[in-house]
Amino acid sequence: MTDTITFGQEVSNLLHAAEGEPLKTCIQCGTCSGTCPVAGYMDNSPRQIIALINLGKKDQVLESNTFWYCASCYYCTVRCPQEINITELMYALKRYSIWKSRYKEGLIGPTFSEAFVKMIVRGGRSFEPILATSYIFSFNTREFVQEIQGATELLLKGRLPVLPARIKRLENFRRMIGRIIPMGGLE
Amino acid sequence: MKEFAYFPGCSLEKMASSYHMSAMETTKQLGVKLNELDDWNCCGATTYFYIDELLAYTLCARNLAIAEKTGLDVVAPCSACYKNMFFTVAHLKKDADLAEHVNFALEEDNLHFSGNVNVKHLIEVFAQDIGPDELKRKVTKPLEGMRVAPYYGCQIVRPQKEKEDVEQPQFFEEMLTAIGATPVNYPLKMRCCGGSLIISSRTAALTMVRNLLQSAVDAQATVIATACPMCQVNLEVYQQQVNLEFGTNFSVPVMYFTQLVGLALGISNKKLGIGKEFVAMAPTPLPVQKTWD
Amino acid sequence: MDKKRENEKIGVYICHCGTNIAGVVNVGEVSAWAAENLKDQGVVISRDYKFMCSSLGQELIQKDIKELGLTRVVVAACSPHLHEKTFRNACKGADLNPYLCELVSIREQDSWVHTDKVAATEKAKAIISGGVSRVAYHEALEPLRVPIHPATLVVGGGIAGIQAALEIADAGFPVYLVEREPSIGGHMAQFDKTFPTLDCSACILTPRMVEAGTHPNITLMTYSEVVNVSGYVGNFNVTIKQKARCVKTDLCTGCGICQEKCPKKVIDDVYEAGLGYRKAVYTPFAQAVPNFPVMDKENCTYFIKGTCKACEKFCPTQAIDFTQQDELMDVQVGNIILATGYDLFDARRVSNYGYGRLANVFTSIEFERMSNAAGPTSGHIVLRDGKTVPKSVGIIHCVGSRDKNFNNYCSVICCMQGLKFAHLVHEHTGANVYNFYIDMRTAYKAYDEFYQRVLEEGTLFVRGKVAEVTDAARMPGEEGKLIIQVEDTLAGKQRRIPVDMVILSSGLQPRRDAKEVGKMFGISCSTDGWFTERHPKLDPVATMTEGVYIVGCAQGPKDIPSSVAQGAAASARVLDKILQKEVALEPIKASVNKEMCSGCRICNGLCPFNAIAFIEDDKVSDINPALCQGCGTCVAACPAGAISGTGFSDAQIMAQIDGLLFRNIELVKA
Repeated sequence: MTDTITFGQEVSNLLHAAEGEPLKTCIQCGTCSGTCPVAGYMDNSPRQIIALINLGKKDQVLESNTFWYCASCYYCTVRCPQEINITELMYALKRYSIWKSRYKEGLIGPTFSEAFVKMIVRGGRSFEPILATSYIFSFNTREFVQEIQGATELLLKGRLPVLPARIKRLENFRRMIGRIIPMGGLE
Repeated sequence: MKEFAYFPGCSLEKMASSYHMSAMETTKQLGVKLNELDDWNCCGATTYFYIDELLAYTLCARNLAIAEKTGLDVVAPCSACYKNMFFTVAHLKKDADLAEHVNFALEEDNLHFSGNVNVKHLIEVFAQDIGPDELKRKVTKPLEGMRVAPYYGCQIVRPQKEKEDVEQPQFFEEMLTAIGATPVNYPLKMRCCGGSLIISSRTAALTMVRNLLQSAVDAQATVIATACPMCQVNLEVYQQQVNLEFGTNFSVPVMYFTQLVGLALGISNKKLGIGKEFVAMAPTPLPVQKTWD
Repeated sequence: MDKKRENEKIGVYICHCGTNIAGVVNVGEVSAWAAENLKDQGVVISRDYKFMCSSLGQELIQKDIKELGLTRVVVAACSPHLHEKTFRNACKGADLNPYLCELVSIREQDSWVHTDKVAATEKAKAIISGGVSRVAYHEALEPLRVPIHPATLVVGGGIAGIQAALEIADAGFPVYLVEREPSIGGHMAQFDKTFPTLDCSACILTPRMVEAGTHPNITLMTYSEVVNVSGYVGNFNVTIKQKARCVKTDLCTGCGICQEKCPKKVIDDVYEAGLGYRKAVYTPFAQAVPNFPVMDKENCTYFIKGTCKACEKFCPTQAIDFTQQDELMDVQVGNIILATGYDLFDARRVSNYGYGRLANVFTSIEFERMSNAAGPTSGHIVLRDGKTVPKSVGIIHCVGSRDKNFNNYCSVICCMQGLKFAHLVHEHTGANVYNFYIDMRTAYKAYDEFYQRVLEEGTLFVRGKVAEVTDAARMPGEEGKLIIQVEDTLAGKQRRIPVDMVILSSGLQPRRDAKEVGKMFGISCSTDGWFTERHPKLDPVATMTEGVYIVGCAQGPKDIPSSVAQGAAASARVLDKILQKEVALEPIKASVNKEMCSGCRICNGLCPFNAIAFIEDDKVSDINPALCQGCGTCVAACPAGAISGTGFSDAQIMAQIDGLLFRNIELVKA
């Protein structure tokens, strides 16, 4: 008899280091969703996502925008009466979603994240102007203009980096990353 | 003389350079030495955790391993950097398997992390290591009449580390009182600014920023004090965008707590990086009007 | 055959326990083996039977005892926890001393934990062999009989304690009812109405209080605390401290003039939950039993500054006595009932609900006092300003309960309490009422019907645990109100609901000093802090300490009918003992061999039942057989090996080990 792994187990496997009680102990009280500052923008509330995971509804979960709206403020986690680490769950779902390249259309989060990671691999430090290209073209005209205005003002006030920063031991750094995941996926 | 290994974080170079300048000036005057970590790399912010957990811990572990060599505890001024590194230490100490994987990667840079580093947020240094009494002693220009909204944000206090108060901490208020300012009752002081959502989910983040600004205005604060570059940028740089989006007319200065401490210690505006804000702080408190939708 | 066994005739009885044992162990083989191989150990008969504990099974044993003249019996069956008494009684019925019967477990320790049938059968043989070797060293023991003092001590004068006291007193036996507060009545005296009948709490409680206060067999000691307990079941010696009331109770008529004239007002944070005032000399409430006031020395002007003495001046019977001191009194009792009740969860700990920070957030007990017609607002439900009637009220369930951040358990009464509040708010104000819950726990008689009633009254129910209560208005309509932020899980939406008043249905907690009190009476507390009962399902009012009983919320959160039932249950157990005039104690005890005792006293502190005392004159330790429960701790700890136990002597244990390991067993080659 082959035991197929459930969706819930797949998600738990992506929560390697995080502490907290198992998802199946959720009593669906709704504290997390009541606390979440962005719950109103999510198609499924955090509580509903946990219910869906426990029911094995993988497709519905991956089509949801819930975890991409999570700002990881951890308010849900400190209030959960069952001590489930909900924020880490949201991180795990993001990882799962990017790993399987399955996410709701029109979300900026996934492409932005990939661009961010590539940027770090390139220089070891953050450089905002490069990041902008990953999301700014998804904005509508008004948002685009506002963002450009903001960036210009930052530049004039000397708050925007012009040249990318680089760490000294960049080659070692890259090899270090290579020991965790193959660089082919990042470059 | 207290000494720490200082992890500035990517944004303190340019975006939040005033935070860096005011941090260095104030700690110098208060007898704390901050030694910048050699060749530190980005902590990964929240984004690395979206891609790979192990990789995210490795990025932080590299910085921690560099710090471990100095034998000093790490201080991070940015809440996200602080949270990432604090929990990297905690998890690597508990999970030998994880530590093994991470150290395997660190070998490429001739580094090894044994877990012997404590990580503090810069505000903890002011609130605990220096302490309100010492601050009060050194203050020469108390910020009398200045009504400050103490904006903790999320990742300094959460996730909970020991059994500390995550709903109503008071250390920020105590610090503000010590420098002569009046901390206002700011009900949303623990609420999230949206963080990177300002890019990936703009409307949601702008709503969160709007609520924070409105609450500060309702509490009749003349300035919001922050302890994280992300929070400062969201609340200040995007203030105009909030106004355009919702038709409000907020004009609330958002300063770093180190800048306020610096002013109370008599340090000049220039040295504290004051002058780079989008919303300038008035020299004297102005009356504030409530705005309604 | 060694000398010990020459005259012994041992019977071995192996139970199938249906298929529980026989399904894994080959009982027929074991029985035959025992008959053949344990002959040299004194076994004369070996039988196996489907259910040894049945009357037919027991008759088998009894028949053999009579006909074969058995001198010892070994039964191989389930755990002694279940049927040791059964088989001992069976032997007793056949005139064989019950302590000459040994029950060895081949179920819990063999058939239930192994799957290899061959190995399990061999193990059963070894276990039985051990039992047979051991039983030869058993002694015919007689239970220790101690007389029972007919008086009973009831600690705590709440509804459970009052019930227990009245039942025992009505049966004609004396009771000492000790209560820490100035009056009996407990928490129930603070409530307005009780669910589900909506009886006025004081109306149903006060007749009982008066009865307890005037009963000829009840010695009421209020404003008193137990400070020391020694002795054992049937013979407890209890020291009670009667705190100084500063009122001579034989002269006081309860007229109340002293209270009227006292100029010092103090916030009453006990009875009035901080919402009202009392004076420095006061009775806690109008129907207090006894109706003698007490002097609050910490707030009395005379004790602080040496002036005033208004009460003394105006007392018509000169009953005020500022010089009165605390008094210690010793009483002898046979049994003790602990009815010490609960503490309310401190809602300040849940900072996100804003109690203590936001003015119009109230706790359950504050609301009870407000709703009560005799309370600080004369029964008007108003906001903290004392006058505004709320137009909308939110009632939050599960405050501090079912929450790993605070108390993990469910406090049982908060759902019904929340519903009761909803009803009372409707009745008093006609406001809109919202109840916020996770699950609706309305299990007992007429409880769910009460929920139906509250639904019909138009209470709005939101299924969701409230995330926070805030005063930070965000939208028009929220200004000046308390906003409850919650996910309406049934609608799947986060909602912000503005209300005027919030009531927290707070949970129940064990008393702050439960551990110390438990220690004083020789009983233990669970990890949550409630007193531990002897068996959670079958013996909820007895404890592991003979003679000490626990009733009411001291044993765990419960409603009033359950508290009353437990009070009555404990009194029945106590009367049971009193009427028997003496109690038989298990003779499985430890005793100290005085010749071998070096007086090191290591055992003194180890005994969990405080049964070991040090005799100064002889410089040796001595065990009180009445208190000793035969746990064996001291036996193991004694460095000189000077302590041994009847029923578990060194000889018995060594023999059992011998039998297990060395006799007649084919060692299974690895």
